[in-house]
Amino acid sequence: MMVAVFASLSLALLVCWFGSRFLAVLCILVCFALSASLFLWEVYSPEYGFRMPWIQTRYIDNPPTAEKSFVYYLVPQMNGDWA
Amino acid sequence: MTNTTSYRAIRIEPYEPRRLPVMLNYLYLLAIMIVIAAILTAAMVMQYAMGELPCPLCLLQRAAMFGVCFGIMVQFRHGFSYQNTGLSLLFSIFLLIVSVRQTLLDIYPRPGHEYIGSAVFGLHLPVWSVLIALALLIAFAVKLAVLGGKDMLGARVADYPFISKIATVLSLYVILLALINLVSVVLQCGFGECHTFGYALLNQLRS
Repeated sequence: MMVAVFASLSLALLVCWFGSRFLAVLCILVCFALSASLFLWEVYSPEYGFRMPWIQTRYIDNPPTAEKSFVYYLVPQMNGDWA
Repeated sequence: MTNTTSYRAIRIEPYEPRRLPVMLNYLYLLAIMIVIAAILTAAMVMQYAMGELPCPLCLLQRAAMFGVCFGIMVQFRHGFSYQNTGLSLLFSIFLLIVSVRQTLLDIYPRPGHEYIGSAVFGLHLPVWSVLIALALLIAFAVKLAVLGGKDMLGARVADYPFISKIATVLSLYVILLALINLVSVVLQCGFGECHTFGYALLNQLRS
């Protein structure tokens, strides 16, 4: 798939410089469609889908500061949970 | 009662583009393309000299930068069109989406997920990509806001021989970079899924 992305991209650039504009734009649109679908395929996880549960989304009452940063690691509920 | 409406011929003067805004526009586009070509060259140097193989999302970011260059190259080769600027903007947005997603993917280091490759000035490459995408979007917005496009309609880069020469050399260099990337992707990924373990096709040929 990645080969198809770069092949259509190279073709678009070559046709743009040495051939017609219409064909070049067609090739780059094909490249864009392939890139977008490959991106979605790459970031999709069977476990999480498109979500990113490792990012903290829970509300923290008392966010850690530089002075009490050790508390952050000691109190489990402040570490947050998987979203 | 007779109709006495009379028609007066109006002579429409052809719009003469002013030379300075057109020249500034071309120089601006050249500057953008030089920066992108330098970034892509640096990425290739890091790949071959430092042995840092690009991940699939990194390769998509490279493709997006080539897409931005494509929009500019069409301007040089086939004349100005808002469609070309639109294509460059489309790929800039794609670059932003891919790089933000990759930055968020590795923002919380855990097994199998951490920023790969060495940091440049303290920032890893996906984070640099976010900044590059934002800079490109701002650059195109400023170009449209300040220089517009009215003067570019009907302008030809061939009327500016010095700029035309630089544009030709730079465009051919970008095409060469894209072809090197294509060969590199074929060697790294083969015709299947991409990995950062090594050059898959070379390993297959060796075994």
